[in-house]
Amino acid sequence: MTRWMLPGFLTIGALATLVLIVGPAIYAISLSFFDRTSLTAEPVWVGFDNFANVLSSGAFWNALWNGFVYAGVAIVLQVVLGIGFALLLHQPFRGRALLRGVAFLPYLLPTVVAVLTFKWMIDGSLGIVTIKMADWGLPPIYWFETESAAMFSVIMVSVWLWTPFVTTTFLAGLQTIPVQLYEAARVDGAGPIRRFFHITLPSLRPILTVIILLRGVWMFNKFDVIWLTTGGGPLGATEHLPVLAYREAFRLFDIGTGAAIATLSFLVLMVIVTIYFWAFPMDDRK
Amino acid sequence: MKKADLSNRLLTRRQTMKSMGAAGLGLGLSGLAAPAVKAQSSRPIRFLNSETGRDSLAFFDRISQEYEALTGTEVIIDSAPLGESFTKITNGIRSGTPYDVATVGFIGQVLLLAEEGQIVPMNELTDAHEWGNNILFPIDNQVYWYPFDYNLSVIYYRKDIYEELGLSVPDTWDGFIANCEAAVEGRRRGCLFPIGSNGATNWMSFAFMWAEGVKLFDDDWNVILDSDEMRPKAAAYLDMMARLYPTMPPGALQASYSEVLSNVVAGTLAHGPYAGRVIEAAERDNPEVAANLEIMPYMDSSGQQKAVSHGYDGWIVLNTDNQGPAMEFMRWLTTEKMVDFLHTAPVHFQPARLDIYDNDRWRSNAMVEKYSSIIEMNRQFITDDSVILTSIDTQGPSPDVRPAKVFESFILPEMLQNRILREMDPVEAVTQAASSIRELIV
Repeated sequence: MTRWMLPGFLTIGALATLVLIVGPAIYAISLSFFDRTSLTAEPVWVGFDNFANVLSSGAFWNALWNGFVYAGVAIVLQVVLGIGFALLLHQPFRGRALLRGVAFLPYLLPTVVAVLTFKWMIDGSLGIVTIKMADWGLPPIYWFETESAAMFSVIMVSVWLWTPFVTTTFLAGLQTIPVQLYEAARVDGAGPIRRFFHITLPSLRPILTVIILLRGVWMFNKFDVIWLTTGGGPLGATEHLPVLAYREAFRLFDIGTGAAIATLSFLVLMVIVTIYFWAFPMDDRK
Repeated sequence: MKKADLSNRLLTRRQTMKSMGAAGLGLGLSGLAAPAVKAQSSRPIRFLNSETGRDSLAFFDRISQEYEALTGTEVIIDSAPLGESFTKITNGIRSGTPYDVATVGFIGQVLLLAEEGQIVPMNELTDAHEWGNNILFPIDNQVYWYPFDYNLSVIYYRKDIYEELGLSVPDTWDGFIANCEAAVEGRRRGCLFPIGSNGATNWMSFAFMWAEGVKLFDDDWNVILDSDEMRPKAAAYLDMMARLYPTMPPGALQASYSEVLSNVVAGTLAHGPYAGRVIEAAERDNPEVAANLEIMPYMDSSGQQKAVSHGYDGWIVLNTDNQGPAMEFMRWLTTEKMVDFLHTAPVHFQPARLDIYDNDRWRSNAMVEKYSSIIEMNRQFITDDSVILTSIDTQGPSPDVRPAKVFESFILPEMLQNRILREMDPVEAVTQAASSIRELIV
């Protein structure tokens, strides 16, 4: 390595970060201080007016709450199910390799394909689920027709899509736990539940910390599932901050308000992540 | 670290520098001749197409080659769904690489771009023709787009079911609800009018309210939805939709264009709103249903008034340094190729230009001939002044961004949801919607 390589690579990395991440972020934040009807309209400086309007609107607080509910419940389910499936797939049985592959499939599907497939499966007239339920004499399910049912349904779709990622990560973690630990615990008379809580879970803690962080950030910012399934409805029941920001900026011709919502969303996430790092430090030495 | 031995390299640094210098000089000198070459062929015309049907895409591919062969001007066609067109248009302008021509499906976007001076009037093309009602939306007598279709949302009904049940075409809400209720049998439902917060609901479900005479704004842009005159009418409309809801399949809240289309074509509905795409899809996938489809307009409660909802599409020419050639291309497209374009979706692309209806070549299309009764009825809807032809985004005394914002805010679909899902008192739902509109357009 020449003496120029390290600073050279660092410069390239810093430049790429500046151009592709910092620059657009600053631009997006700067938009929130202007009033403009489109990206091409003449911007008018309004200071913090957009923030004041957003913070005084019920839609923002509703969307923030929905974001917490959506991300929170989805993460809990993904982690619980992910660990459960990982434990199952960690056991030796015939066809395990095949099942591991199949279990990962939903994560490989593009979201738009998965969501549209799901929507057609439950279509009120033509959906396979609806038809089969009618054949069995069961009443139709109104998957998205009440506010709570819609939230439940978008969470279920998200859990179905991303649990495989969590499963695979935990599965990798399980394979790093020394077998001797389990054997020693067994000799000491520890049952499966005790072995799980005293060996498996503590060993998976670093992975668990990262997974919850990553999935939390991704779910909080997740736009496509909700947009494609409910569009934020009914009556704002599934509208979270990304959907609200998009709707304001690109549908209601209010770029400034959309940018203000996105900026606030970013700040909320930053606060949460900071608290999370403080509560669950990544570096064990601390 | 060992210093690299340069003696065995194919080229020394000095030689490399010399070669690059020579190459640069060559490039520079060749550039001097470029203006002459460029003068022979103009800059390509960038066209953003949003009609993404297979035949429409093939059409644009064909005519771009044809136009280049004819004039030497290259036409680059980009295709993107209509929902993405405005973002692409504004991003193009913003990045300094604007489209020269683009497709839009929303008059609010046309108005915004016109106000910003980003598009140019097209009167030189539109003035040459007679047009159907309420489609050009001029601003100070300047027409900023070239509408090519109406996409009227009308009610399709199954005449075989009507015959089987002895039903007649209704002209009141009560009659329509009774027909929908009568048609429910097994998996077949009476109708499907979307009620979700989406464009399909805006397009397909409010013409009953327009037929009843409801208006959102007065001539001074005051919101009058909850005025003494409008409130009871809008409330009655909400009650009517609440009565229709039990005759719909589960999923009306999620239903968008594709769900309504698929259900009508599959034959699981006795009534469904849509434009001519239904006929084309049914002809392809379920000819038996296609043969039994007829249309009716939306009706009011008393049988006095009819309405249809428009969903128009059109082309705009952007204010670029290439607008002259772009306008010439549009002149060629809209004169020489208009009929061919409309034939790519012969029933769905309901012409906005009235002369097309009498064009022999257009009429000679097999689908146009076969479904002439439906096409003729649609023609009547756009020429008969007694038929209310409007939509949420074209409400108000003149073209304006305010109704476009109401359209995109989904306040009216939410008014429906408040009545149907939350069982809110209809008057309260109307009052709430009116106050939300006032807040929105401040």
